[in-house]
Amino acid sequence: MQLDNSSTNIAASLALATCTLLGSTPALANESVDNEWRFDTAILYYGETDRVSLVEGVISATKDFGDDHIFNGKLTYDGLTGASATGAVPQDTVQTFSRPSGHGGYAVAAGELPLDDTFRDSRVQLNAQWTQPLGDNLRGSAGVHASKEYDYLSLGMNGSLAQDFDQKNTTLSLGLSYQFDQIDPVGGTPERLGIMPIPTYIGDDYDDDHDDDYDDDHDDDHDNAYPDRNGTQNKDTVDVLLGLTQIINRRTIMQLNYGVSVSDGYLNDPYKLVSVVNDLGQTQQTLFESRPDQRTKHNVYWQTKYAMDSGVFDISYRYATDDWDITSHTLESRLRFNITDNSYLQPHIRIYQQTAAEFYQPFILDDSPLPTFASADYRLGEMDAYTVGLKYGQQLDNGDAWAVRMEYYQQNPKNAGFDEPGQLADLDLYPSVKAMMVQFNYQF
Amino acid sequence: MSSTLTREINIEQRQDHLCGYFQAMASPCEVLIDIAESSDISPRHSLWDEAYKLVSAIAEEAWRIEDKYSRYRDDNIIYEINHARGRRVEIDSETFELLNLANTCYELSQGRFDITSGILGKVWQFDGSDNLPSQSVIDACLACIGWHHVTLNEKYIHLLPGFALDLGGIGKEYAVDKCIQIARQQLPDFSVLINFGGDISVTQPRKTLPYWQVGIEHPNPEEQTQMMVKIAQGGLATSGDAKRYLLKDGVRYGHVLSPHTGYPVMDAPRSVTVAGENCTQAGLLATLALLQGAGAESFLKDQKITHWCLR
Repeated sequence: MQLDNSSTNIAASLALATCTLLGSTPALANESVDNEWRFDTAILYYGETDRVSLVEGVISATKDFGDDHIFNGKLTYDGLTGASATGAVPQDTVQTFSRPSGHGGYAVAAGELPLDDTFRDSRVQLNAQWTQPLGDNLRGSAGVHASKEYDYLSLGMNGSLAQDFDQKNTTLSLGLSYQFDQIDPVGGTPERLGIMPIPTYIGDDYDDDHDDDYDDDHDDDHDNAYPDRNGTQNKDTVDVLLGLTQIINRRTIMQLNYGVSVSDGYLNDPYKLVSVVNDLGQTQQTLFESRPDQRTKHNVYWQTKYAMDSGVFDISYRYATDDWDITSHTLESRLRFNITDNSYLQPHIRIYQQTAAEFYQPFILDDSPLPTFASADYRLGEMDAYTVGLKYGQQLDNGDAWAVRMEYYQQNPKNAGFDEPGQLADLDLYPSVKAMMVQFNYQF
Repeated sequence: MSSTLTREINIEQRQDHLCGYFQAMASPCEVLIDIAESSDISPRHSLWDEAYKLVSAIAEEAWRIEDKYSRYRDDNIIYEINHARGRRVEIDSETFELLNLANTCYELSQGRFDITSGILGKVWQFDGSDNLPSQSVIDACLACIGWHHVTLNEKYIHLLPGFALDLGGIGKEYAVDKCIQIARQQLPDFSVLINFGGDISVTQPRKTLPYWQVGIEHPNPEEQTQMMVKIAQGGLATSGDAKRYLLKDGVRYGHVLSPHTGYPVMDAPRSVTVAGENCTQAGLLATLALLQGAGAESFLKDQKITHWCLR
């Protein structure tokens, strides 16, 4: 009785097979790999045509301390420059506005939408999150965040519980978060519907002046520019989220969320304006906006993911409504298509639509009584928007991964049924905002 | 099998090495750390600490593998598989890889190496007596043997009712190799020898003497002394047990059983010791050689490996 002809190879075959066994199942070696930090870095450029541009860097670090005890820490830095729409209407003549600091002013050409070009800020945000099992089928997570920009401070904490049922086919989750925001507007907090003062001077030399950082403006002029203005303002926000995740079959997973968010406090944008116009459409005055100091939002979110042989398809819909009368619909879909075992292409489309807030008005007519609340912020007006994008990602042999994403975004504000008196009928009160986004991401 | 009561480790300094020892898998286990070049015997606290850490980690790993794959426990994956009554059982990747190795051995040995054949060991009592099991008992066993009836993939294993696995032929050697990896990681600059009841592996040659000289139980029970073997690097394992046999009508039945006939393989060597790249490979080669019976020596010669064959 002999083994087959290849019997001389048995020692070599066994050497190979045992090396496979010992190489690929190092229970201890695996643990040490799992114990390493995992980093995820991203850099994003977002640029609106003629308006805001943003560069954002993110570094996120995750460590599994074993048995699904996971820590995640994240540092985000945003650098923002450019101009944003103030809410004031364009005119067929040159307009002048004072700077938020109260020091000097700027001119807007005839026919142009007024943009405040002092928009420049940087923001640093820190997040920390801890997640761990609390029982066989129960997981808990808790986190804190802090973010700081020049005139804004945000602090928050969150906690959530997730319970699995039906052999982990169903997961119910409950999340709670609290956020405290403090704004210390440049030049102080303007009075609601207070009249924006006429700038004291406008000159070329001013522009040089404002190219210095906000800091200079602020420290020098905070008190003496608008001595009667209020200082910092606060806002509290509580969010509650109820979620249901259901595995439908081997390839399909569905998620349904309901969320409530209640904000209380200073909800104005201190830099936003509303123009008061006469029946010829000529600006008589420019006022600071006024919003209610409470807002309650509800939203329902549904998502389905379907795993195909060569990729993943997901589609989601969000319905949101609030007591400011803004109702929105978001439809979003991604299709991840695996080109090879370790690279993929992912097209993305998002369609968004919202109605205007009840107090939104593009301008105030000077012969009508002054409302309590008024905002001409285009973000509270009627609009639709869409995003189209494409992402390419690749997994490297060493386990690292990188991805690049490009997206085009267009926002089309709409007239929510306001008559446009006089010259305003000939001016574009609702110009579109177009933006490009490029993100590069590296995981190691 | 070591009860948790006996789970303790000891370390002592010998002439030119530190020796840690403990009990695992029903065997005395040793970890030898070469300190020949650094042996001025003064208390080397850091080295002792390192040695203690290593021996602890090795003992933990050995006990982990024992707990996970011993067939004498009722709380592990082997028990779950052997008591599944025809249901399939989910397995982790380590178990899959071990079973996959058993599958490779089954194929390489044309079915002679079969981890479902452990049931035969229960009906053959190799106590030196003439008590052979009856043919009907052997036939009943053979009905529950045959790796080709097993469905195995990375997620689960499925055994027919009545079938059972026994990883006794792999487990201890596997534990030695897993532990030698820990030694390589923790003390990369030292030569470390691990000896679990005669299954041995060495990380690298020693500094002064190139090899370790260790005594293993002599395969020949007539020899009162241990058999000394020299090993510089790699694995060494012995298969066979000269004390375990039956004698009837002048025929000696060795304890190596054929899963094909249900009877001991005739004319097998009493024991085979093989030096290999690692302990698992050496142990499997020794077992495959025994299963060749009369052809053991020529099989070993064909493999061009260092071996010792005792008839």
